[in-house]
Amino acid sequence: MAQEYGQWPESCWTSADIDWRAAKKITAGIDIGTASSQAAILCDGALFGYANLRTGANYRQAADKAIQMALGNSGMAVQDIGAIMQTGWGGNHVACATGETDELTCHAKGARFLFGPSLHTVVDLGAQTTKAILLYDWDRVRDFMINDKCATGMGRNVEFLCDLLQIPIEEIGEKSLEVPEDPEPVSTTCYTFADTETLGLFGRPEYRSEALTEAEIYASHLFAIAWRILGLIGRLQAPEVGDIRITGDLGFTGGLAKNPGVTKRIERELGVTALTAAYDPMLAGAIGAALLAGEGGESHGL
Amino acid sequence: MDYKALIANRRSYAMDWKARTGGKVLGYFDPYFPEELAYAAGMLPVRMMAEREPDTLSAKWIYSSCYPVKAFTNQFLLGRFDYMDALVHVEGCNWMYNAFEVAMNHDPALLTHFLFVPEHTDAPTSRDVLRSELNVFKGKLEEWTGKAVSVEALDYAIEVYNTNRKLLRKLYELRRFYHTPILGSEAMGVMLANQLMDKAEMNLLLADYIRELEAREPAGDRVRLMLLGSETWSTDLEEMVESLGANIVIDDLDNGASYCWNEIIPLEDRLMAIALRYLGRPHSALRDNNWRRRPQRIFELSEDFMIDGVLIAKQIYCHPHGLDNYAIWKLLRERGIPFHYFERDLSLPAEETKLRLKAFLHTIKPGLTRLMGWHQPLNLEV
Repeated sequence: MAQEYGQWPESCWTSADIDWRAAKKITAGIDIGTASSQAAILCDGALFGYANLRTGANYRQAADKAIQMALGNSGMAVQDIGAIMQTGWGGNHVACATGETDELTCHAKGARFLFGPSLHTVVDLGAQTTKAILLYDWDRVRDFMINDKCATGMGRNVEFLCDLLQIPIEEIGEKSLEVPEDPEPVSTTCYTFADTETLGLFGRPEYRSEALTEAEIYASHLFAIAWRILGLIGRLQAPEVGDIRITGDLGFTGGLAKNPGVTKRIERELGVTALTAAYDPMLAGAIGAALLAGEGGESHGL
Repeated sequence: MDYKALIANRRSYAMDWKARTGGKVLGYFDPYFPEELAYAAGMLPVRMMAEREPDTLSAKWIYSSCYPVKAFTNQFLLGRFDYMDALVHVEGCNWMYNAFEVAMNHDPALLTHFLFVPEHTDAPTSRDVLRSELNVFKGKLEEWTGKAVSVEALDYAIEVYNTNRKLLRKLYELRRFYHTPILGSEAMGVMLANQLMDKAEMNLLLADYIRELEAREPAGDRVRLMLLGSETWSTDLEEMVESLGANIVIDDLDNGASYCWNEIIPLEDRLMAIALRYLGRPHSALRDNNWRRRPQRIFELSEDFMIDGVLIAKQIYCHPHGLDNYAIWKLLRERGIPFHYFERDLSLPAEETKLRLKAFLHTIKPGLTRLMGWHQPLNLEV
């Protein structure tokens, strides 16, 4: 079987240090995205276990697998969990869930857990949607923007692009940063156009005035993605035309948060350094859902 | 009132009206179209509604416009507007003008007219300019119908339309109640149906409907929202909002509240009276680019209707409303009014829009999940 360059590694972890039988409150969150699914289990507010896997074609199976992976060999069963909140694109399919809520609220809460109390702006770089979320001084959503144009699939697009260009997804970001200066971005309108344009950059150099290196081609594509995300942040934040500002500290969640080719470019344009997550930034939605589950199965604590 | 049936059967209604009255049906789109004048001439003014269906024809004629204009063109070429004898374009949206030109070229038998309305509605000369334009249009109507538009006919039309606006405003008054008896989808459905019908007939239906609403048990607690943005041709957004425990209680859409907010003040010079009504209507985004007067009205409505938040739903590629955004967002942010902006076309993606709405409603009301019952797991067992 040919190598799948766009596939990222699945992961799971269960704490060996926490005695879950002594916990007063056990809650879980399950975030079923279009490309990836996560489960997180909290014991008295501390992370006990998590799983991060590819969703595949069946949301319900992905949810079951995620929670089982997070439970690991701890001896805990689904029935031992007091409340399970489901969220995400497939967040109506989790058979064991006791509640359901929207993923923006979950990302806000989960990001605070991951990045700490100084976090005010969350940019969730998902497979299908990108969300810019502005928080109050606590973990409640103050304002948000979701991309509403074509080419929503930022993360999905990078997976696809890596397969197309045959470069492992963990490497494309770093390689793209090996350029002294970013070239012009490819299409910022549509990711199918962007892919075609990127492929075109590999074309015969005699048809171009100046040949681009591989790193420059990756940079051109990832810069286009960063460019689009900056527009979204600008709509959320900018009180004046042309003034893109970040209020408080910034944190990236979602799969593309692990791609420095995108995040470093956004940081550079905004003039900030993003916070580092305590755990995998893809877990933000699931952790937020688990925290919400702990608040009585509803999000009225937000 | 079965507004859904009225909207769905608009073609058969218009055909029936023609058979009953012997009159002609006139199509229009722009919010500044002076309906009273056409009505006084014995015609039935009908607002064109963009409908979503596979677009097989418009691309040959119009490239790169908003979806409603493409849909209008496609529908026209498919013969969906075959009950219209006349088509009037009012100076305003240039893309609509393209659709109007396609209609003119496609069907030479169609009676057509271009009506100029000054962009600066408050300029000292605007009233005289528009009165003069209305006089030209009146001449055209007389030519089309073969009879003069009498003063008595103008007075009757003004009376019918003023009554219609009073009744529609009554619907909005009922929506001001904290526990309103009417949902936003019902109100918008009635507004849309109203713009397809003979106002004398609609006024009778409206009067009955208002009596029915006044006797209706008010709805329980719902989050109160205002809707801004481009015109709408369906109630799908309102219905989705309601499914999440909220209610749109006020709007500032050209074919919503702005349609009925002011009346004609009678004057000896009837044409001037009509001109002043249209120049004095709540400002449309089409005619507010250089003056930015809409935010103030939006703020006043937000206070008057005790709203919890604002939804701004703009048609993709609708430039007038796109240019409006900055001033409206600025005002809403300064006043601390929660809002959510998104773009749509004639469709409304269910999952994506629901996600937006849920998240937005969360930002407005902590504890809303209890109200909405979101914490109830869905039963997906077949």
